[in-house]
Amino acid sequence: MTMHVRHHVDVSLSRRGAIRRRDFLRGISAASLAAGTLSWRDLVSLQAAELQKRGMACIILWMQGGPSHFETFSPKPGHENGGETKAISTSVPGIEVSENFPHFAKVMHHAAIIRSMTSKEGSHPRAHHLMPTGYPPTARAKHPAFGSLVAQQITSDHLDLPAFVRIGRNTRDGAGGGILGIEFDPFVLPEAGKPPTNASPGTTLTRYDRRLGLLGRLDATYAAAGGQQEVAEHQKLYQKAARMIKSSQMKAFDLDGEPANIRDGYGNTPFGNGCLLARRLVETGVPCVELVLGSWDTHFDNFARVREMSGKVDQPLAYLLTDLHQRGMLDKTMVVWMGEFGRTPRINPRGGRDHYPKAFNVVMAGGGVQGGKVIGRTDAAGGTVEDRPVTVTDLLQTFCTCLEIDSTIENIAPNGRPIRIVDDGAPVDELFV
Amino acid sequence: MICTNVGIQPPAARQPVAASKKGNVMVVWRTLLVVTASMLLLAEQAGAAGLDPQATAKRVDELLAGESFGGAEEGAALSAAATDQTMLRRLSLDLVGHPPTAEEITAYTLDPAPDKRAAAVERMLGDQRFGQNWGRYWRDVIMYRRTEERALRSAGTLERFLTQELNDDPHWDVIARQFITATGDIQEEGSTAIIMAQMGSAEDTTAEVSRIFLGIQIQCAQCHNHPTDRWKREQFHQLAAFFPRIAVRPVRVDGKRKSFEVVSIDRGPKRKKNNNNRRGNLEHYMPDLDHPEAEGELMQPVFFVTGQKLDRGQSDQDRRGQIAEWITSDSNRWFARAYVNRMWSELVGRGFYEPVDDIGPDREARAPKTLDYLSERFARSQYDVKWLFRVITATDAYARQSRSRYEEDGAPFAANCPQRLRGDQLYNTLASVLEISDRQPPRAKGKKAPNYKQRMNGPRGQLNQTFGYDPSVRRDEVVGSIPQALYLMNGPQLNQAIRARGSNTMLGRLLRDVEDDDVVVEELYLRCLAREPNDEEIETCLEYVKSVGDRAEAFEDITWSLVNSTEFLNRK
Repeated sequence: MTMHVRHHVDVSLSRRGAIRRRDFLRGISAASLAAGTLSWRDLVSLQAAELQKRGMACIILWMQGGPSHFETFSPKPGHENGGETKAISTSVPGIEVSENFPHFAKVMHHAAIIRSMTSKEGSHPRAHHLMPTGYPPTARAKHPAFGSLVAQQITSDHLDLPAFVRIGRNTRDGAGGGILGIEFDPFVLPEAGKPPTNASPGTTLTRYDRRLGLLGRLDATYAAAGGQQEVAEHQKLYQKAARMIKSSQMKAFDLDGEPANIRDGYGNTPFGNGCLLARRLVETGVPCVELVLGSWDTHFDNFARVREMSGKVDQPLAYLLTDLHQRGMLDKTMVVWMGEFGRTPRINPRGGRDHYPKAFNVVMAGGGVQGGKVIGRTDAAGGTVEDRPVTVTDLLQTFCTCLEIDSTIENIAPNGRPIRIVDDGAPVDELFV
Repeated sequence: MICTNVGIQPPAARQPVAASKKGNVMVVWRTLLVVTASMLLLAEQAGAAGLDPQATAKRVDELLAGESFGGAEEGAALSAAATDQTMLRRLSLDLVGHPPTAEEITAYTLDPAPDKRAAAVERMLGDQRFGQNWGRYWRDVIMYRRTEERALRSAGTLERFLTQELNDDPHWDVIARQFITATGDIQEEGSTAIIMAQMGSAEDTTAEVSRIFLGIQIQCAQCHNHPTDRWKREQFHQLAAFFPRIAVRPVRVDGKRKSFEVVSIDRGPKRKKNNNNRRGNLEHYMPDLDHPEAEGELMQPVFFVTGQKLDRGQSDQDRRGQIAEWITSDSNRWFARAYVNRMWSELVGRGFYEPVDDIGPDREARAPKTLDYLSERFARSQYDVKWLFRVITATDAYARQSRSRYEEDGAPFAANCPQRLRGDQLYNTLASVLEISDRQPPRAKGKKAPNYKQRMNGPRGQLNQTFGYDPSVRRDEVVGSIPQALYLMNGPQLNQAIRARGSNTMLGRLLRDVEDDDVVVEELYLRCLAREPNDEEIETCLEYVKSVGDRAEAFEDITWSLVNSTEFLNRK
């Protein structure tokens, strides 16, 4: 039976991750399904294990608040809308970024800029739902965040840590596991460099094991009194949690073992430590790490504030790409820098820029993305996409291509409605050639 | 007058405050309805026994026996009646959201009265914590589907509003009408919560009103005709045409955003786009799927259940007041069915339909006759919430021992089902077991009351964020998470509270006052699981104490194990 499934998985996966539920069901004898030996969930995890073997992962740098494209990667120095921001050249001839990113400029050959992002959601909560999920918020179904989908689709039996880790203050705006259930919610770490909340036992390990043993014996009574399934699930969960606590993989959370030159490379700042931790977690087998950095919501004093925010990002981002490249991890690790939307071309009377979803930029690197590229273009005024518009679903399709996830896989909402990983859109193929 | 003579509160007194602000037509119409309802009520008085909770419960059990267990072999599939101790913990958690105290358990177990269950139910229904428990439940029903994070600002107000409504002669139709017609500041009017949670969007508000009060997922027809039910796309948008004039506006004090308010927009430029922003629109348009940028089709407000129509051009309050009446009217059977199905599901552990908010029309109910009967009686009771609790808790179906919900035994409701504790129930249990005070520390003079973010970050709020779940989701899909396990296993406050050394903890005092280890074990079981341990459990624990060799340490471990046990996290 298992052999049969494995074989089928291999065959299906040879088509660059193109697995659909129907393919699976077709490949497995109806009898074995009817006998209940293999649930749909089992099938998904089989596929997930196969994907994980290839070690695909992603690091999402979430720029909370909506960063101005003018002051980051789409400067318009020749136009009045561009304001005081200057452009600087990069390691790739012909590509310029804003002067706020001198470190990043030197590694431009590792990264691609999409300057033609466009969306219609201009409010923080709605855009903060749309960007990570590909769906506008609705009461119909809680759409899962992309990181949760990655955790569901790519996970390994060898991973003792949570599959989706979010580093940084959780503003509670973003999406979580949604219809996939809380087991796919992000595991939130308020700050890099400190151990996760409640992850160290309050006792010695010997006593901890002793307690778990007693718990198992006492739970047996309840199992016998009509709660066997509940007890079985509970015990499974506790084993998983205990395995995590006791795992040597927990060392990934501890940055102290990292050499000083690497720590300095990342900058020794909270965001820099986050990037370093992200690399360590990915190295350990965590398929999705998200870092949250805010706030880019520069309704006033835009230029100074974006300069300050960029200063927090520039060196760690550049070093992350370099570090991943040097370790041979970049090809399999997709890195994305993005926020909710861009900012208005017009500079308001308070020296600020307001919300602007019509045109904004996103940076991608790794996971098969060819560096040194610019996709799309806005007009001279920076307000209209002139070439190669990329929608949010196009962007998520691109993520799926990077991670070799089949975007047509359907998850089922509580009301029975099937929901695709990404509906509509097409990957930005130019990034991969 | 006649009504008061027979001891029934005239329905007129229960009319919602948020009635039509203009137009006497509505008032006259409503008065007519009230008179008609009163006459029906009087007729019902002739057979007052029809609403006696115990008799109704008996009839429910008879119907179930007929349509559900009739085919079962010799009733072998039926679970036995739960023990007194199981029963009391179940009732306490279900009704007031707290576990019973050790004193309550003893008193209940020793009470020889045959009607002690009904008496306990009556006591709990009169407890202020009843309204609070179910207020928190409905807060979760609404808030877990929010599309707007800032709606959480109204969560506390919503909880207080529901607590008061549910404690104080609660009628579900009155509560529903207040939600549907709500206006005002979201931090003053808890009834605005459904609208605020959807930021006033006509389509999302429509979907939620239908889901919560009718148990119909008509929003599936928002973009296409419903795949499994008979609703048409047009019918969804006709229902949405009752809600386009809602707007949600920021409330500013000294230029600073302090809150939001739900208002009616009855004037202003006609926008040719749908109300999917919070500004409101005079009419609702069904989008043209092939041309999403086009104006779409202007919709007339029509209630899809009854076909009742309203002219276009009516004011927001007239539209919402009207649909509130139609939804809660006796001619709409979905209203009673949705509530009965949901409450039955919460109490008996399985619903007639699951998930609880998707009941039809083209789905098959488990035990349809029972649901029909109970729903019809509930409508006759004037949607009396406490009456329904009296009936369901009096049934044999409620009072049976639990069986794992994963066991498909063929006969619905042959057993009760374990229910995972909701966040608030778990918090209450931990606080009571470990004798931790639930009170906020007293505020220093001049210090502001905690805002919603501070409340969410308080101990109860944090526990709710970790353990809470959407109550409308099928319970077999609600699973535990790693952070939950870590919280209960390693949380520093918890480990602090189970310490045995010193006398400032529950366990410390217990070990100081009680010498016999088996009595300590019994006491811990009573506290944590509201039952006495069986012989095997006592033996396991005593052996454990012996093997550890350190009494304090051993009992800390036992308490830890009980708090982390499956039974602790579930109500049997």
